[in-house]
Amino acid sequence: MTTRRRASAEESLRRLLALVPWVAGRDGPRVEEVCARFGCTEAELMEDLELLFMCGLYPFTPDTLVEVTMEEDRVWIRYANFFSRPLRLTPAEGLFLLAAGTTLLALPGTDSEGPLGTGLAKLAAALGVSPEEAVGVELGHAPPEVLATLQRAAADHKQVVIDYYSYGRDGWGRRTIDPHRVFNATGQWYVDAWCHDAVGERVFRIDRMRAAELLDITFDPRPINGTTPTYSPRPHDPVVVLELDDQSRWVAEQYPNEGVEHVGSGKWRVRLRVSERAWLERLLLRLGPRARVVDGDASVGAAAAERVLARYGVSVRSQ
Amino acid sequence: MTRLERLINLVAALLETDRPIPRAELQQRVPGYEGSAPSVRRAFERDKDALRNMGVPITVEPLDPAVPEMGEGYRIRREQYELADPGLETDELAALHLAASAVRLEGAGGQEALWKLGGAPGGEGPDGPLAALPGGEHLPTLFAAMSERRTVSFTYRGVERSVDPFWLTFANGRWYLGGNDHLRGEERRFRLDRIETPPAVGEPGAFDRPALGRRASPQPWRLGDEEEVEGLLLVDAHQADWAVAQVGEASVRESRPDGAVVLALPVSNREAFRSFALGFLDHAEILGPPALRRDVLDWLEAVPG
Repeated sequence: MTTRRRASAEESLRRLLALVPWVAGRDGPRVEEVCARFGCTEAELMEDLELLFMCGLYPFTPDTLVEVTMEEDRVWIRYANFFSRPLRLTPAEGLFLLAAGTTLLALPGTDSEGPLGTGLAKLAAALGVSPEEAVGVELGHAPPEVLATLQRAAADHKQVVIDYYSYGRDGWGRRTIDPHRVFNATGQWYVDAWCHDAVGERVFRIDRMRAAELLDITFDPRPINGTTPTYSPRPHDPVVVLELDDQSRWVAEQYPNEGVEHVGSGKWRVRLRVSERAWLERLLLRLGPRARVVDGDASVGAAAAERVLARYGVSVRSQ
Repeated sequence: MTRLERLINLVAALLETDRPIPRAELQQRVPGYEGSAPSVRRAFERDKDALRNMGVPITVEPLDPAVPEMGEGYRIRREQYELADPGLETDELAALHLAASAVRLEGAGGQEALWKLGGAPGGEGPDGPLAALPGGEHLPTLFAAMSERRTVSFTYRGVERSVDPFWLTFANGRWYLGGNDHLRGEERRFRLDRIETPPAVGEPGAFDRPALGRRASPQPWRLGDEEEVEGLLLVDAHQADWAVAQVGEASVRESRPDGAVVLALPVSNREAFRSFALGFLDHAEILGPPALRRDVLDWLEAVPG
């Protein structure tokens, strides 16, 4: 942290209300350690401590003031009995810590009997909830060996060949990628990578891989834009306008679109850009009679329905 | 006199009292409230709001309960202010710190929570977050209600519900609340994004939590009020691994030599089951029961062409 804006009074107060009881409860911890624990520079700490030793209780005679002593690289705080314990966790903070710990515990390779597990149990007890049951986080499936290979490859900058199912094209294929970062967003595992086949940056869903093979080829990490894992429409993708009824309006909320229009009597029109046919096929089959293509290729839904019906042994569609 | 000093002295004064202190007296006991009466009042209100915002429990109490006309005063009750010491060892705190650096929860700051527990005892976190969870408007309220065992009331899909909150789970990319639904008289789960009104909370200690809390992750086709039937879904080899990963090995009824699988799934929401099946396009087929198979055929026939 090189440049840093001046902390607001509220930010400094939050830090002090936690830091004072911690320092006061110890015999002169080192300034360096205090700064590392509470995420501040030595200058910021000094500034706050200089204020602190003018604080205390009415009538602010010497015996009612907090005492701060600095000696060499150590610090003592005395007579701050009103701040003998930190402020309790807010519900949002408690939830965050439990959720974060539970998330990490669920990752492959984390020892649930280790310090994270015991720490979480103590924290849950202090918050008055049951450690096993109160907060659950399910990150979604990813083949563990594929996930492990990608994590290793990203750390060591090694190329990987993946066997990947393209949802949009409904087909399997092999691709060579430079995996930059493995992450989970809203319950799905992704890898941010340079794809040698597409000659571009791509984000791949790890649950749609059935194998990942580590190559002995090192790549130079290149700056990755940090693409968002959701589909972002490109201007040359074909436009499809769907007419939806009230029950299928969720489409407009769930997918990026170029506008929703109420056309009366419980009907809505949403304008989508669609690059992949199979994606549109799935959407139209799920919507069934609740949606109609009013602009764009109107045959996609019917053709897909016929294909699926054929699989069920129904060859002729009643019109 | 800086604002920070004034805030520290205000918290100290409110903590170190055994009676409510009227505003006028507080303004004398805490230096830094200067100027005209309205500006002093504004400054005090602003400080009070800032402290409450960070979770400092400032209460307003009658100066003398027997004589209400004497007015009210402020105080901080120590038992409401202080963190119960979880007694974390250094390695436990370090593990929690690592978790807090690896995981983002939208709308929640992690560092301050860790400061309260004793800060970060060394050790570096990962570069970027490993996992990012979306937030939810009502998450903190529901979590607080859960930990204090308060019943919550809200409108859910147009119906007023009262729920004893037992657990919160993030699954399928969403947050769910599970608890005893007073209306149905049984345990139910609710999607947080479908809660239509800010949850109103009742008194603390209103219920006992059952010994067995959270159930397995909710699958959409189980989230319905229809009579449960066993749906049989044939998934081709092409998509079999992914499908099994979604529903779990225990649901596999049959593994065919060509790599296809037949899944047996409890269905109480036919629409969700149909959507799941149609997501596989022509790589899957509902085998039974006949009513579910008929349902998907009728649906496909009705796709406008």
